[in-house]
Amino acid sequence: MQRSNYRRALAGVLTVAVAVAVAACGSSSSSSSKSSSKPSSSAATSGPGAGKPPIVIGDKNFTEEYILGSLYQEALEAKGFKVTLKGNIGSSEITYKALTSGQIDMYPEYTGTLLTAIAGDNKPPTSAQQTYTLAKAFVEKHGLTVLDQTPFYDSDALAVTKAFAAKNHVASIPDLKKLGHSLKLGGAPEFATRFAGLVGLKQLYGLNPTFVPLAIGITYQAIDTGKVDTFDAFTTDAQLTSGKYVLLSDPMRVFGFQNVAPVLKASLVNTEGPAFAQTINQVSSLLTLDAIRKMNAAVALDQQAPATVAHQFLAANGLA
Amino acid sequence: MIALAAGGPVIPTFGGGGSSFTCERANRLFCSSWLSRNWGPVLWPALRQHIVLTLIAVTIGFVISTTLALIAYRRRWLERPVLIITSILYTIPSLALFELLEPVPGLGLSRTTAEVALVSYTLLIMFRNTLTGLREVPDEVRDAAAGMGMGPLRSLLRVELPLAVPAIIAGVRIATVTVISLATVASLIDNEGLGVPILTAISNEVFKTELIAAGALAVGLALTADGLLVIIQRLLTPWTRAA
Repeated sequence: MQRSNYRRALAGVLTVAVAVAVAACGSSSSSSSKSSSKPSSSAATSGPGAGKPPIVIGDKNFTEEYILGSLYQEALEAKGFKVTLKGNIGSSEITYKALTSGQIDMYPEYTGTLLTAIAGDNKPPTSAQQTYTLAKAFVEKHGLTVLDQTPFYDSDALAVTKAFAAKNHVASIPDLKKLGHSLKLGGAPEFATRFAGLVGLKQLYGLNPTFVPLAIGITYQAIDTGKVDTFDAFTTDAQLTSGKYVLLSDPMRVFGFQNVAPVLKASLVNTEGPAFAQTINQVSSLLTLDAIRKMNAAVALDQQAPATVAHQFLAANGLA
Repeated sequence: MIALAAGGPVIPTFGGGGSSFTCERANRLFCSSWLSRNWGPVLWPALRQHIVLTLIAVTIGFVISTTLALIAYRRRWLERPVLIITSILYTIPSLALFELLEPVPGLGLSRTTAEVALVSYTLLIMFRNTLTGLREVPDEVRDAAAGMGMGPLRSLLRVELPLAVPAIIAGVRIATVTVISLATVASLIDNEGLGVPILTAISNEVFKTELIAAGALAVGLALTADGLLVIIQRLLTPWTRAA
């Protein structure tokens, strides 16, 4: 009597252990092919990318990068390439390190950031093309390369509220100098150490603000609540469409030229075949300022998932 | 300078424009429209990945810690070193452990890294519970088993382990709930699970629906898993109810 109970219990333990193990294995293999969420996945099993080595794309830690990562991922998958997206990795410095250490194969980077934050080249280039050429020359020394740059550019810019601009009579960055150390300037922590950031603002414009480190997502909240007077915004920010803010002009071009170019392991261009670079360049060529602003708005204002927005854009342009 | 595709890109309306997103644009506290739009593409895959991450970690942790506990049950000297090592693992802050494992060759930003860290947090709990459960089997019961002619292995499998089931499952419950919570942090290095929408939502300055929804899912998952384990325990140990 007692004995049969024990036997049943033991059988139970074993059954559960086996069931859990099988469930874990089964579900892990079925989901391991996918690490990002995406609607109505159109991943093709045929096409020029079929059978090519899998690619790991990374992206940095803000809305526009999530969209870019999803755009390249889905366009490549539609051509049969096997792609994993590692989203939201971190700042440029961290994401670039993920690329050079082999954690990822490619990520979308801004040409000016590549030059200043990564290469440490602080001589402001005079054109977008010059920036691209210099950035390309730098990464090629490190076994990397860049594909075509996008038509749109997303440069950093200092933003103030309309009220602040009127009260203090500021329209350009040099106008901030008179506010001295009482000026509270917000930005991501890495802004403090970049030339296209605090370093350049000090050198080129003689600013000496109090720096307030901010997480990227809370900059507009910080200026609305008065925590900062001005902050490091992006020219493609959806919030700028509200008309509440003014971007200060940058006559000495401390923020440089910031078109996007995917930076990747140079060997990928050969191992993945010609359709790889063609597909990516095709996507990049479609990314005008208008297109990226509307996609940013769909994510930042309408709260749609980056992958959903990327899918709609690619589908409309016959690339999904 | 920069070649544009002929005629420029086709820019779709992205879900119908502003009027379809009144709740989202007004940044209300909770938008059910967001939930229905994002369940399929965002939340459901994240929840599924979270369950897989948890199942793998708890299963591997269970196998390792039960094996160690069974050995330590027979070989007492093993208990101290295992306790010391698993206690040290348990006290490392999760964020630090993920960052420490990331540069290790072969790990990197991967699910493996996440699992190594998650498993390490389950070991102390399950090892100690299993060992305590086995030790608490009354000597008379062990003697009775021997008296009935059972050898040490039969006694372990048929008498001691079944009696230790409530303690073992209590350990599995704590480990499971711990892993479900820690796996949200694991998304910093392994971009999957409920931590992904939670991290996205945290960096969102105004819109809170995603944070609320993903947070509620994580809590709900922990409660459900705990409830299921209670049921499993009851099924495994019918004698505890009969009394």
